[in-house]
Amino acid sequence: MNILDNLKKIFETKFRDLFSNNKIDKIVIFDFSKNPKNVLELKEDNRLSIDLSKATDEEKKSIKKNVIDVIVQGKNEVFLGSKSLEKTKQIKSNLPNKEDEELLKFYKDKLKPSMNKALEVSLIIRKAFKNGEDIKELKRDISYKFPNFGNNLCNLTSSDYFHDHFRKLYESMLLDDDFDINIYQKKVEKIVISLPYTVFITRFKSYDQLSGEVKFKLEKLKKYGTGTLLLHGLGKENVNTALQILEEYKDDKSITIEIELNQTKTIITATLRF
Amino acid sequence: MKLSNLTFNENVKKEILTLFGKTVDDEGFIVEKEDPSQKVLTPKGEEIRIEEWGGVLKGSEAFIKSDAFSLIELAKRLE
Repeated sequence: MNILDNLKKIFETKFRDLFSNNKIDKIVIFDFSKNPKNVLELKEDNRLSIDLSKATDEEKKSIKKNVIDVIVQGKNEVFLGSKSLEKTKQIKSNLPNKEDEELLKFYKDKLKPSMNKALEVSLIIRKAFKNGEDIKELKRDISYKFPNFGNNLCNLTSSDYFHDHFRKLYESMLLDDDFDINIYQKKVEKIVISLPYTVFITRFKSYDQLSGEVKFKLEKLKKYGTGTLLLHGLGKENVNTALQILEEYKDDKSITIEIELNQTKTIITATLRF
Repeated sequence: MKLSNLTFNENVKKEILTLFGKTVDDEGFIVEKEDPSQKVLTPKGEEIRIEEWGGVLKGSEAFIKSDAFSLIELAKRLE
């Protein structure tokens, strides 16, 4: 027996005509103050609405026992709020595909569990965004759960940094004799948290573009920021570019520069404090 | 496990909780109506504020949260 049959049992005497409609495919429990008196109302989109505030205590008990309990305990269905239902459907349709699963597997033992959790949601957001879906709610969730890094990690995932950059970073660090996974974790964390204050040195931008970007961010941060700018580069060519840019500031007394370089000089993370 | 076509609107959460013998304490947490000192927990053992509550799963009244992290776990278990 389906839930409509059960509802029919509860309300048949009051709403005989309504149950003659056999197209009902959604049922929503709600509280609608503009509804004058009816417990049940059939909407144009074949959605049956149940207004609990108009139900008697007996009817409420019966809805719980013969409708909600039947679907949850008897039929193993999930009883959700309308918003949660839509969000669950969106998540299900954007769950990580094979490529995303491989990525999560790669980072599983390399990043902290909190970062891996955020990465999984970020991959779902990335996919939903590519499908042209509204991602505001999902982004809100990730920022709320991980206020320090959630939003930044999400943006970095969307720009493929976890598909490419952080993988290469791991592979480069692995070549160092004193490799330690904790140092890798800390480095990724530092970059993700500092994203608004970071310039990624990449060969896809010219020297002038990168130098200009550093200058622009420094000026902006000096006015409004935290007093820190991070330069991060991977690969010998990018390390050299970063060092060359840093040279521009070696005589600037208002800036102190800390340079982290790995043994093989293929990874640079420089912190400019001012 | 699958999603039901029976849902509830956000504005009727308190009424639904009442049907389950729950209520909301002064701090906004879902608690047992009979014993308000006893907070309702998710299957992972987290306390739930009413605005975080997403719905109910099979089990001894398994209440779940509505954030993406909780719903991913659910989405993976759906048929």
